[in-house]
Amino acid sequence: MPRGYIPILIFLVLAFAFPVVTILVAKLVRPSAPGKTKLEAYECGIPSDADTRGRYSIRFYLVAILFVVFDVETIFLIPWAIQYNVLGLFGLIEMLVFLAILIVGYIWIFRQGALKWV
Amino acid sequence: MPVTHYLVLSMALLIIGTVGVLTRRNIIVILMSIELILNAVNINLVAFSDYLQNINGQVFTIFVITDAAAEAAVGLGILIALFRNKETVHADEIDILRW
Amino acid sequence: MQLDSILFYLFAVQILFSALMTITRRNVVYSAVWLISTLVGVAGIYLLQGAEFLAGVQIILYIGGITVLFLFVIMLVPVSEESKQRRFSSQLWIVLIVAVLLTGELGYFLWQGADSFQMGEPTPPAEIGTVTTNSEQIGQVLFSEYLLPFELASILLLVAMIGAVVMAKARPGAE
Repeated sequence: MPRGYIPILIFLVLAFAFPVVTILVAKLVRPSAPGKTKLEAYECGIPSDADTRGRYSIRFYLVAILFVVFDVETIFLIPWAIQYNVLGLFGLIEMLVFLAILIVGYIWIFRQGALKWV
Repeated sequence: MPVTHYLVLSMALLIIGTVGVLTRRNIIVILMSIELILNAVNINLVAFSDYLQNINGQVFTIFVITDAAAEAAVGLGILIALFRNKETVHADEIDILRW
Repeated sequence: MQLDSILFYLFAVQILFSALMTITRRNVVYSAVWLISTLVGVAGIYLLQGAEFLAGVQIILYIGGITVLFLFVIMLVPVSEESKQRRFSSQLWIVLIVAVLLTGELGYFLWQGADSFQMGEPTPPAEIGTVTTNSEQIGQVLFSEYLLPFELASILLLVAMIGAVVMAKARPGAE
């Protein structure tokens, strides 16, 4: 592993340890008195009327698809941007072709009305 | 780290993925197992890329990840179309060729 | 290097345990969360091997993109009824045979080919002054040697995008 990642590793370990330790300590220290009334909605809160894992609309999925596709595009853009000075005009044309092909798809989806949030 | 260790890890992950594809009934978990298999392949590619000090393996891994994204998008799209028609996500309940 | 070995085994145990959990959990949401854990472990393995760019890609694309896609699809199907049903298919015998065969085959090749991996000392890392970073190397190779695959990747993404939308979009009048 590259040397520079040791601080990040320590930070990660601390970040994971903090919630675990606090939850465990809280569990040991607090008094335990579970009751049915405690689980009800508080004061003017609305009682829930359906399962939390309910079904979502399909439109969320369509947006997620677009997100993933343009996420992949970003993955290709980053090394191109880093090497831009070396690659020069040829690299620019390369990337423009790449983007043009994807933008065709984006326009198609837009025209289809898949992004319309009715 | 000897490169063999990475290969053994990759092999174990590949076998777990294969068993997942073959055993589970839920198509979503089958797709997840396919992601596991692809990751096993990626570990292999990166291990040799590091061992031979050759960057080509890592570039190839980027393409594999791109394919994984495309595969997940289309696969889950098919799953949604299937669920809309058949109201099931179980692979063994979809056993007719037409309806 | 001692620290590298310890980290490798930690990540390896994390990957394999999470992978096993992914394929055995009854609830699909738990499977997806264990899949995230597996992918984080793989990102750690990439970091260990000096593939820093790929570790970032793994987290941004796999965990931030593909797993979110999985979770959205899980939300589209009723999980609570689904998780009460039978988990495994009825072809466990075939699975056992395939797993044993696969283990035997890959293990045999690893064992037999173990010598061929000793291709002399791996080239020592270049001097600090001359070496370019991992991302720069990838950019250099990706946009010169892999020009055609790169452009084809955009076509693949275009097809995937259109295919997924066509599949997922409700037919007019269906809703």
